[in-house]
Amino acid sequence: MTINATLLGQTLAFVIFVAICWRYVWPPIIAIMQEREQRITDGLEAAKKANDSLEEAKLNSSAELEKAKQEAAIIIEKANQRASQIVSDAQTKAETEAEKIITSANKTLEGEITKTREALRKDVSEIIISTTEKILEEEISKDKHEKIIIEAAKKI
Amino acid sequence: MAKAGTDLTSTEYIEHHLTNLICGKADKGWTCDPYLADQMGFWSFHVDSLGWSVFLGLVFVGLFKLGTSKLSSEAPSGLQNFVEMCVEFVNENVQSIFTSAKNPIIGPMALTVLIWVFLMNLMDLVPVDYLPTLVGNFAAYVGLVDTPRDSYFKVVPTTDPNITLGMALAVFILIIFYSIKIKGLKGFISELTLHPFGKYLIPVNFILEFVNLIAKPISLGLRLFGNLYAGEMIFILIALMLVFNSIAIGFLGVGLHLLWALFHILILALQAFIFMVLTIVYLAMAHETEEH
Repeated sequence: MTINATLLGQTLAFVIFVAICWRYVWPPIIAIMQEREQRITDGLEAAKKANDSLEEAKLNSSAELEKAKQEAAIIIEKANQRASQIVSDAQTKAETEAEKIITSANKTLEGEITKTREALRKDVSEIIISTTEKILEEEISKDKHEKIIIEAAKKI
Repeated sequence: MAKAGTDLTSTEYIEHHLTNLICGKADKGWTCDPYLADQMGFWSFHVDSLGWSVFLGLVFVGLFKLGTSKLSSEAPSGLQNFVEMCVEFVNENVQSIFTSAKNPIIGPMALTVLIWVFLMNLMDLVPVDYLPTLVGNFAAYVGLVDTPRDSYFKVVPTTDPNITLGMALAVFILIIFYSIKIKGLKGFISELTLHPFGKYLIPVNFILEFVNLIAKPISLGLRLFGNLYAGEMIFILIALMLVFNSIAIGFLGVGLHLLWALFHILILALQAFIFMVLTIVYLAMAHETEEH
């Protein structure tokens, strides 16, 4: 229990161990602990940010959806309009065509009628001529002639 | 347990346990004979205390270096957890005491003090006869001493006042160093002489403040020494019960040893913690500049 140089030896040992701890042991541990703290802080922040952006994306997506719906409605409306226009156009066209056809048919018919009428007139005149010749050859009798005349008139 | 004690009286047994393995220069030259300790004077060393102290310091450094060898900021495990827990605990203590000033050496020093002193204290839980008997038998076998009883080996470094006061001396040097560094030589001297009675009673102030200053390292060292020495002494006395040829006293001794060891765990940790906290507090006081 005497005080001797052991005391100085221990003082020296103390200084050396503190120096070793200060230089080699303490800094890496503190650094790693701070790094982990930082990582946790960063992680929490990132999670919060992700949450925020998710919220934003949700809002965005619903807005997009709404917009798309509106566009779709507009497109459908336009398509409907176009369809009805096409139909009405087609109708108009068809009507015009039909009128044209009818007109041309009428024209043809008129021509035919005229032609037939010409032919008929020709026939009638021939008949009249031949009938007249017959009458003139035989003798004109009222009874006989009457019958012929009625026949001729019927032919006309 | 105590094989050494067939013809050893209780006093001799206790004395044997309280004697360090001391080496120094006696009249005849270098020797490790405790009976020549008076001749050695100041320049002699307690090889056992110093050896265990340095060994345990290396254990501390090794343990904490090993714990940080595969550092990762991912989820830590095992030894790294323990190391980080210690560091965080020390760091919290330092930061709660060192509020204004910052000094990068305080943290590592507090950690060293805590773990190192705790490890040294922990040697107190090794039954008192194990290591001395082992060393004594080994020394006798090798031929360093005649009989195992002639070898002296004191295991717990903190039961040696040289060790505790040695650490306190280092702390004291740091206190003075930082006092002068922070406050300047003038500030340090004025702190020593101008309190508490002003400049007209400088001698009185000086005596009071000097005692105050010197009491710090002495109380720091002697507190640790006293607690551990007393604990060790009780372990020795309990071990002494096993020497008697009585089964009843022997069993009582085993029971008491267990009880005291359990209780002592608390003291060991507490004393290490107190030593650390006081070291931090004293150094924090050295960093304080404001008048009080």
